[in-house]
Amino acid sequence: MNEHSGTISIADKAAATPRPVAVRVRGLSDKGIAWLFVGPTIVLLLAINIFPLIWTIYLSFTNYAANRSGEVKNVGTRNYERILNDADIWAAMQATAHFVIWTIAIETVLGFALAYLIDKKFRGHGFWTTLLLLPMMLSPAVVGNFWKFLYEPQIGLFNYAISYLTGIDRTSFQMLGEVSLAPWAIVIVDVWMWTPYVMLICLAGLRSIPDYIYEAAEVDRASPWRQFVSITLPMSMPFIMLAVLFRGIENFKMFDLINLLTSGGPGSTTEVASITLKRAAFESWRTGYSSAFAIILFVAVFGLANIYVKALNKVKQR
Amino acid sequence: MAEVALINATKRFGDVAAIGDVSLTVADGEFVVLLGPTGAGKTTTLRVIAGLETLDEGAVRIGGREVSKEAPALRDVAFVFQQYSLYPHLSVYDNMAFPLRSPTRRVPEDEIRRSITEIARMLHIDHKLQNKATRLSGGEMQRVAIGRALVRHPSIYLMDEPLSSLDAKLRQELRLELKRIQRDLGATMLYVTHDQVEAMTMASRIGVLKQGKLVQLGTPREIYEDPAETYVATRLGQPRINLMPRRLFPSLPTPSSAETIGVRTEHLKIDRHHQGAARVARIEHLGDQRYLHLSLEDHSIVTLAGHDTDLDVGDSVALQLERPLFFDRDGMRVRP
Ligand SMILES: Nc1ncnc2c1ncn2[C@@H]1O[C@H](COP(=O)(O)OP(=O)(O)OP(=O)(O)O)[C@@H](O)[C@H]1O
Ligand SMILES: [Mg+2]
Repeated sequence: MNEHSGTISIADKAAATPRPVAVRVRGLSDKGIAWLFVGPTIVLLLAINIFPLIWTIYLSFTNYAANRSGEVKNVGTRNYERILNDADIWAAMQATAHFVIWTIAIETVLGFALAYLIDKKFRGHGFWTTLLLLPMMLSPAVVGNFWKFLYEPQIGLFNYAISYLTGIDRTSFQMLGEVSLAPWAIVIVDVWMWTPYVMLICLAGLRSIPDYIYEAAEVDRASPWRQFVSITLPMSMPFIMLAVLFRGIENFKMFDLINLLTSGGPGSTTEVASITLKRAAFESWRTGYSSAFAIILFVAVFGLANIYVKALNKVKQR
Repeated sequence: MAEVALINATKRFGDVAAIGDVSLTVADGEFVVLLGPTGAGKTTTLRVIAGLETLDEGAVRIGGREVSKEAPALRDVAFVFQQYSLYPHLSVYDNMAFPLRSPTRRVPEDEIRRSITEIARMLHIDHKLQNKATRLSGGEMQRVAIGRALVRHPSIYLMDEPLSSLDAKLRQELRLELKRIQRDLGATMLYVTHDQVEAMTMASRIGVLKQGKLVQLGTPREIYEDPAETYVATRLGQPRINLMPRRLFPSLPTPSSAETIGVRTEHLKIDRHHQGAARVARIEHLGDQRYLHLSLEDHSIVTLAGHDTDLDVGDSVALQLERPLFFDRDGMRVRP
């Protein structure tokens, strides 16, 4: 490894100058020094990532409850069986799927469209880019709270705007309070907040296409539409897919925004997996059961992401 | 094919004129080569004709039609870019088919296949047709770029150093092929190269660019034998033409304003039987010929020597100048 040779030369230099440092360093082999540098990180990783994961796997096979003391019994795969037969869990998975699929679809289309417009470098595009990026830089807590106000039927700007545009009475609907609207209310907030992020990645993709390829296409008489379909889209596809991957993983485990906006309500219409998980773990205190659910979610995300990354690599190699 | 003309064309980038007041007519079926050092404006000239740059002043005419304001697609030119410009996600075949598949052309697929197969074979890339454009060597990419132009029959072919990344053997072969195709098709061609063999053998006429100005335009022979200034004279000839101050040859009759005497290596004869002022400094063996490096006072001179020469380093020789060229203080040609 390169770092090693670097260390040697430092040691050599040290030998030429003050002695004590050289002596101390000389006591260690290259490997020893390498471990010294990497060690703390590995210990930290083990402590806060790997150990909890293994512990969770262990707990998922027990009836452990964190708020009760007493005997912890091994229950085999019973937690897993219950989860897969639990209608509430499947409802939560459905709510999650609705949220993930729609946010990704809308954010990708909107984000790419915005990136395409901004890439055209119209007047003042720098200003508009900065403005568009603002939502992404806010904290989800802030965003959740102020969208709660925007969605207020009495005083909220959102209802006011809708009623202004469509003529519907603004107190006649509650975005966060109605079973049919709440799933869309959270989609709208996530789209508002994270479209800029997708836009940024797509913009990087568009900027990576060299001008001379478009010039060749122009000389070859490709219409703007043909240039878009046969150059712009395929060449920025790896970037679009990367944005989808990031947003997908992020939204699969979305918690903070939804918890602030609806806490899973009304009823359980917006109760996505992570909220169900939190309830099982810290409201019903079924620690073993929720551990099993967490493991199932983890495997699902991990598996999907892996399949997706394979696909991404294929696209990149095309 | 058509006649293509630049009329008093000027293109500026900021303050610098990449080309300034260039007038150049490429006749129908003519092969014009542009020569010039890096930054001279060769690429810019091609781009202006293709419509990839808009002129600040002057006009472009293709087939007698003023096209200065038209988009590249309407000008019907084929361009081989210096940096190849292949479509990276497409196969070699699809790259070459791309221009033909334009909806405005409506070429049937079997005709596309026929012409691609033929041209790919000629360029020795027929075994690479299914490769991705990115999985090629530089020389292969360059040939694909040439192929993408050759499948078309445009008003003019614009080629920017199309053979620069090929090895000597392939370059020589393709040089002949390109010239043959150009002659067979009667194609109009504007071609940029640094290779003087390409320039001399392919061109009907050579244009020499100097900092955006067209300083001389003429047949290869005119450019070689009758250069208008030292700048042009040094573009062609390997080894370079010898430029020497007039005072080294006091006995030579020269025009009064001449400051510099230019002699091509093959016109510099060595008289072995006379002791002279020049001394042999170095002998370079290049296989078929040898270069003789002489020093005359503080000047070094290069000339060619036959195989049978028995000269050695340190020998003194006399020089004989045939067809010397005279240039004034600014490097402009003066004729006796
Ligand atoms: N897009 C541009 N913006 C600014 N300056 C440019 C641009 N294109 C070319 N130039 C300038 O114009 C001059 C001519 O450039 P050009 O590319 O025509 O040179 P060239 O003769 O093709 O050189 P080479 O042999 O290196 O390809 C150069 O000084 C270059 O810096
Ligand atoms: Mg160039």
